[in-house]
Amino acid sequence: MMLALAEQVFNGVMLGAIYVLVALGLMLVYGVLRVLNFAHGALVMLGGYLCQFVFSHVIASYPLAIAGSIVALLPVGWVLERGVFAPLRDDLQNQVIASLGLVLVIENLVLVVWGPAALQFRLATTQVLVPFGPLRFSLQQFLVIGAGLACVAALFAFLNFTKFGTAVRATAQHPGAALVVGIDVGRVHAVTFAIGTALAAMAGSLLGPLFLVFPQMGDGPLLKGLAAIILGGLGSVWGAVIGGFAIGIVEAVSTLVIPTDYRDAVAFIVIAGVLLLRPHGLFGRTTRYEA
Amino acid sequence: MRSFIAASAAATVIAALSIGGSPARAQEHVTIGIVSATTGPFAAPGKFELNGFNLAAEEINGHGGFEVGGKHYLVDLKIYDVHASAAEGASAMQRLTTVDSVPVVLGELSSAAAAAEAPIAQDNQVPLILTVPTGPELTAQKNPYVFRVNANSNQLAKSLADFVGKQGWSPLSFIAWNNDAGRGGVNGMRESLPPNIKLGYVGYFNVGDVDFSSHVTNIRSSGAKAVMLLMDEEPGSLAIAQLRAADVPVQIIGTLAMGSDRFLKRLDAARLAGMVQYNAFPPNAPLPRIKAFSDRYKAKFGEEAHGFAAQSYDGLFVAIEAMKQAKTVTDGPKIRGALAHLTYDGVIGRIKFDAEGQADPPVYVTQWCDDGRRRILYPADMAAGCGAG
Amino acid sequence: MKPRDVVVFAVVTMGLLLLPAFYGRANYLLHILVLSGLYAIPAIGLNLMLGYTGLVSLGHAALAGIGAYAVALLTVKAGLNFWLALPLAAIASAAVGAVIGALCLRLRSHFFMIVTLAFGLILHSVMNNWDSVTGGAAGFAGIPRPDPIGFAAFRSLPEFYRLTVVATAAVFAVQALLVRSQFGRVLDAIRQDEILTAFKGIDTTAYKLAAFAIGSGIAGLGGALEVSYLRVAAPSSFDMVESINLVLIVVVGGAGTLLGPILGALVFVGVPEYLRLASEYRLVIFGALLVAVTLFARRGIAGLFAPRRAKTA
Repeated sequence: MMLALAEQVFNGVMLGAIYVLVALGLMLVYGVLRVLNFAHGALVMLGGYLCQFVFSHVIASYPLAIAGSIVALLPVGWVLERGVFAPLRDDLQNQVIASLGLVLVIENLVLVVWGPAALQFRLATTQVLVPFGPLRFSLQQFLVIGAGLACVAALFAFLNFTKFGTAVRATAQHPGAALVVGIDVGRVHAVTFAIGTALAAMAGSLLGPLFLVFPQMGDGPLLKGLAAIILGGLGSVWGAVIGGFAIGIVEAVSTLVIPTDYRDAVAFIVIAGVLLLRPHGLFGRTTRYEA
Repeated sequence: MRSFIAASAAATVIAALSIGGSPARAQEHVTIGIVSATTGPFAAPGKFELNGFNLAAEEINGHGGFEVGGKHYLVDLKIYDVHASAAEGASAMQRLTTVDSVPVVLGELSSAAAAAEAPIAQDNQVPLILTVPTGPELTAQKNPYVFRVNANSNQLAKSLADFVGKQGWSPLSFIAWNNDAGRGGVNGMRESLPPNIKLGYVGYFNVGDVDFSSHVTNIRSSGAKAVMLLMDEEPGSLAIAQLRAADVPVQIIGTLAMGSDRFLKRLDAARLAGMVQYNAFPPNAPLPRIKAFSDRYKAKFGEEAHGFAAQSYDGLFVAIEAMKQAKTVTDGPKIRGALAHLTYDGVIGRIKFDAEGQADPPVYVTQWCDDGRRRILYPADMAAGCGAG
Repeated sequence: MKPRDVVVFAVVTMGLLLLPAFYGRANYLLHILVLSGLYAIPAIGLNLMLGYTGLVSLGHAALAGIGAYAVALLTVKAGLNFWLALPLAAIASAAVGAVIGALCLRLRSHFFMIVTLAFGLILHSVMNNWDSVTGGAAGFAGIPRPDPIGFAAFRSLPEFYRLTVVATAAVFAVQALLVRSQFGRVLDAIRQDEILTAFKGIDTTAYKLAAFAIGSGIAGLGGALEVSYLRVAAPSSFDMVESINLVLIVVVGGAGTLLGPILGALVFVGVPEYLRLASEYRLVIFGALLVAVTLFARRGIAGLFAPRRAKTA
C-alpha cells in the first residue's frame, strides 16, 4: 500500500507538471489583465497543432518546431488581446463569456482545417524510457518537467529582476497607479498576453508528442490548470506551481481510494471546498499579485 | 476551363453508360434514412458505419437496384449527423420520418441518442435498425419498431466471459471509457463472469483523457492477470503503449477497434503480440462471405474492413430484404412485420431478430501473432492460424 | 405592464397554439418549436440570474438535469402521476440550486462562475456514474409523455407542442412579472451596484439566493419537460457543453431582456436545422456571435428589435 501510494504520488507529479505548464500562462494573464481566459486551453491545443505541422511539414527539428509554434501563435494572441480582451477591460463577466465564445471558434476551426482524427506526433524523446523505481517515464515527461521549471525560473527572473517586469507587477497591483507613474499599461497588457500565448504554445508543443494532437486536447488541462491557479491563489507564480502539482497528486492518489469514474469530480470538489473555506485560494492573499 | 470540359465529358460518358446499363427500365428511388456522426468526437466510428452503408448501397444500385412488386428501385441514403446527442437524434428521426418520409431508418452510434429515436420510430411507425450501439436497454424496452443487427454489450460480455473463463485469466481488471460503451461493457462483464474469474481493478476515464499512468500503476499493484480495454482506437493505442512501457505483465484484451491493420500502424507488432480482442467479424477469416466483403471494402476504401462497416452493410441488406418480403417500399408496419420474421445470412453471420428485435450474431476473439498478423481463437469451431484474424 | 404588451403576448400565444391546425399532424416544424421551447425555458431561468441579477452560472444545465432525473425517477420508479412529479422536480432543482447558491453566493464574480462550473461537473458525474439509479451513461429510457388531464392529452407531437407553448408562455409571464416587481427592481439594483444596494439596508444575499433558486427551479421544469418529450434522460444533455450553450442562448438572444432567451433558443435550434449546417460551422458562427455580442451589442438579438428602449445597464 505504501509503495502504491508512492508510485501514485510520482504519477501525480508527472501529471501535475502538465497542469503547471498550462496554469502558468493562465495565471499570468489573470494576474495582470484580470482576464480569466477560458480560451487558454484552445490556444494550447492550437500550439500543439502548429508544432506538429511545422515539425512534419517544414523542419524536422523539435526545438525549431516549438519556436515556430510560438511565433505562429503570437499573432493569434495579439488579435485576441487587442480585439476582444482590451475592449472588455474591467468587464469580468463579459470577458469570460467572450473567452467561451473564442473556445468554440478556435476548436471548431481546427476541426474544419485538420479534421476530427487525432494526429500522431512521434519523437525520439517519447520512445526513450527512464526507469524510476518500479515506474518508467518517457524522456518527454522529464522534458515537460524541465521546461516547466525553466519557464517558472524565467518568469520569476523576468518579473523580479527586469525593469519591464517591475512595470508588469506594478500594473498587476494597481493599474491606475501604474498609469500615474508613467507605465504604458496598454503595452504591459499586450506583452503579458504575448507571454501567456507563448506559454500556451510551449505547453501544446510539449503535450502533443507525449500523447496525441487532437481538437479537445486542451480542454482537460484547461480545467485542471484553472483548478490549480485557484487552489494556489490566483496571480502567484508559486501558487500556480504548487496548485498544479497538488491537483495532479490528488487526482492520481484518489484512484487508490475513490471509484475512478469520480476522478474528475474529486479535483472539482477540492476546488469548491478550498474556495468556500478560503475564498482567496489556499495560498492566496488579498493583494492581486505576488511573484 | 479545361477541367470543366473534362468534367462535362466525364458526365456525358457516365450518363451514356448508365442509360446503356439499364435499358428501358424505369428506375424509381427509395430513400433510406441514416443516423450517424460525420463530425465531432464520434466522426471516426461514424466513418466506418457510413462506409458500410455506402458500400451496400453502391452494390445494390450497381446490380440495377432491387425489385418489389415488379418494380425496380434504386437506393438513396439520406444521412443525418446527430453527434451522439439525444435531442439531435430526436430531430433527425422526426425529420426523416415526416419530412423525408423514409420507410426505414438505420445506424446510430450512441445508445442515448438511439433511446431518443426509438419512441419516434414507434410513433411514426418507421422501423429503426440499429447497427452499432450496444446498450442492452434499447431492445429490452420491447419497442416493436426497434431492431438491432449487432450484438449488445450483454451478448458481447457473455461470449467474452466464456472465453476469459476458459483461459482462467483472474483477476480481470478494466480500463474503460466513462460513456455508454465503456460502462455498458464493464457492467455486462461483471454480470457474466464465471465464478473462477474475480473482478479486479476498474479504471474509468473520460473521452479525451490521454494519461493512463495511475490506472497502469493500480493494475500492476492489484496483481491483475488480464486487463480489458473498453475504448476505441485512439485511447486504445495510448493505453497499450503505456501498459507496455511500464512493462506490466498482463494479458491485454481489446475491443473490435483494435484487431485491424490500421491499429497495427498506430503501434507495432512487438507491443501488440499476444493481445486478444473481440470482433464482430474477423476481416481475413477463410470464409467466402467474409473474404468477399473484405476484398470489396479494401478495393473501395483502400484499407482493411471494420466491424462497424460490416454490421451496417448487413443492416442495409436486411432492410432491403424486409421491403422485398413485405412487398412495399412505403408501408412501415408491413416492413416491420417482415423484419420480425426474416432470416438473413450476412457478412457478420446469420441475422434473425428475437422477440425484442435483437439479433444474435457470432462474437469472435482474435489474437495478435508475433509478426503483426492475427489468428482466430474463438469460437472454437472457427479457430484458425496466423493471417486468418 | 402596458395593456398593449399583454394583448400582444396573448395574441402570439394563441397564434402558436393554433399552428398545428394549419400544419397537420406530426410536422417537423412543431418538433423544432418544441425543442426551442425546451431550450428557452431553462434559458429564461438563467436570464433571471445572468441577465437581471448578474450571476453568471456555468452549471445551469446540470440543474435542469436534477429536474429531469427527478421526474424520471418519480414517474417510472415511483409510479407517480406526471403532474404530481413535475412540480416536485422543479422544487428539487430549486432546492439543489438554493444549496449551491448558499455556498457560492458569497464568492465574487470569477470564483462564483468557477464554483458553479465545478458543481455542474460534479452533478454531471453523478448522473453519468450512478448506474443503478440514473441508468448511467446510456441514459434513463422509457420516460412517459405527460398523463392526460380530463380531455387534454399530451402524447402526440401536436399535443406536446401545445403543452410546450403554454409552459414557455407561463414561464415567460413569470419572468415578466418578476422583473417588473419590486423584487425585480432590487435584482437590477444588485446587478448595477451590489454594495450600494446593501447600503440601503437590503439583504442582497437573500435576494440573490432567491434569484438563484427561482432560476434553478425554472431550469428543473425545463429539464423535466425535455426528458418527457424525448422519453429518455441522457447525462450528455446536462453537461458542461450544454451549460455553455445556455449561456450562449441567453447572451446572444439578449441578456436582461424579456424576449432574449426565447429568441436565442429559436436561433440556436432553428437556424442550424434549416440551414443543415455541419456542427463545426454552426459552433464557429455561434462562438463568433457570442464574442460579437459581448463587444458590440449587449442586448443581443432582442436589442435589434427594441434598440431605443431605455438602457437599464
